[in-house]
Amino acid sequence: MLKPLRLLLSLFLLGASGLATAAEATAVVETLHSALLDTMKNASTLGFKGRMEKLSPVLDSTFDFQAIAKVVTGRHWQSLAEDKRQAFIKAFRELSLATYADNFSGFGGEHFETLGHEQKKNSELVRTNIVTGDAKRVSLNYVLTKNGDEWHIVNVVAEGVSDLALKRSEYDGIIAAEGIDSLVAKLNGKVASYVAAGK
Amino acid sequence: MRFYSGTEPLGWNPDIMKKESVTRSLIALGLTALLGGCATSQTNTASNDPWEKPNRSVYNFNDSLDRNFFVPVAKGYVWATPKPIRASVTNAFENVSYLNVIANNLLQAKFTGAAAGTGRFLVNSTVGIGGLFDPATSMGLPLSDEDLGQTFGKWGMGEGRYVVLPFYGPNSARDLPNVASAMALNPLTYLTAAVTVPLGVLQTINMRANLLEETNIRDQAALDPYTFVREAYRQRREFLIYDGNPPSESIDDYLNSSDEPKAADESSVLKVY
Repeated sequence: MLKPLRLLLSLFLLGASGLATAAEATAVVETLHSALLDTMKNASTLGFKGRMEKLSPVLDSTFDFQAIAKVVTGRHWQSLAEDKRQAFIKAFRELSLATYADNFSGFGGEHFETLGHEQKKNSELVRTNIVTGDAKRVSLNYVLTKNGDEWHIVNVVAEGVSDLALKRSEYDGIIAAEGIDSLVAKLNGKVASYVAAGK
Repeated sequence: MRFYSGTEPLGWNPDIMKKESVTRSLIALGLTALLGGCATSQTNTASNDPWEKPNRSVYNFNDSLDRNFFVPVAKGYVWATPKPIRASVTNAFENVSYLNVIANNLLQAKFTGAAAGTGRFLVNSTVGIGGLFDPATSMGLPLSDEDLGQTFGKWGMGEGRYVVLPFYGPNSARDLPNVASAMALNPLTYLTAAVTVPLGVLQTINMRANLLEETNIRDQAALDPYTFVREAYRQRREFLIYDGNPPSESIDDYLNSSDEPKAADESSVLKVY
């Protein structure tokens, strides 16, 4: 008599916890989106530097750069000394920030829509669109993983093109041919050119 | 807000400039059948790019031609031509190439898609004045993206070797036959050179102009443009084959098990959609 009740209860709890994680992961993505939208709307008053400053804490709270660094350096991560890892993470984070500040540099009536989510074994996939002013939809999907209690974004897939996979392929060749220092220098060079061109 | 969609600068379609294109398409079909054969028997490396060396040479050739010739011409065209006119040029070339889209809807057993595509083609060709305007989209008949490479993918064929074609840009053994089918199903192919040559020039310049922002993003973002373009192309194709909803492959295994992914998994591990 108790058994089916317990089963029901545990099923209910399981379902509830599933919902909770999904909601949390989705909330992380929506936090990023609302910050991006705000940045776009105030793009010109903020300026490039201002957009970077505004997005800096947002990216830190929504992305897991440590996990991302591990993935994009792939087979090389294991053999990297701690200081090299930190230098890479720092440069990579700066570049992500500069790229966002550059790409979200104006407002043309865009908005974001959250389409849904899928639970994976240890990650959560959140599907969204960015809708342009003339109603074109760009698919933007996020992969999040849980680190401790919090969900963080580890990958962004725009129109089917995975940011991490792209970078991983590029970085692998550069680390193999020229070493991690050269890669870090190149990332810093990209940041510098974004900053120089940034309005 | 801007994104790199994986569409490539030198991915234009100069086919209609060639008068003898039907014979050419047959030769190309035969060639690609051969390539396809090779592709299935080779051992697949992580990025399907055993021809990386020659591919890089062709990429560099295309890139320098692009920067020194096509980009300046495309910029001049953008400067000289009002936006609505460029939109109409794009519409018209899209419309005239639509038989290939319809045929590939049929080949993939997407009958609703084929019907909608036929409706779109008819509406835009008539009400839309030869495809210059696109009233079909607002009638619920949106532009769809199908081609023979996607059909082969749907049928289960592997992507085959990655290949960079001179002038034409990124391609793969699986996608090559579409070059021929797009040509054969484009009515412009069968017109005289006096018409097709200038139209081909216009199409090429217009297409390049449409991609100026994409290539800006590539130039800003890529550390190794060749690899960047290759991976974007391959992922984009996968995305299109599954109509925007590829089966998810999880990054879980990598993130949680080991710091040392197997080389062969590299591209699949992170392709989450």
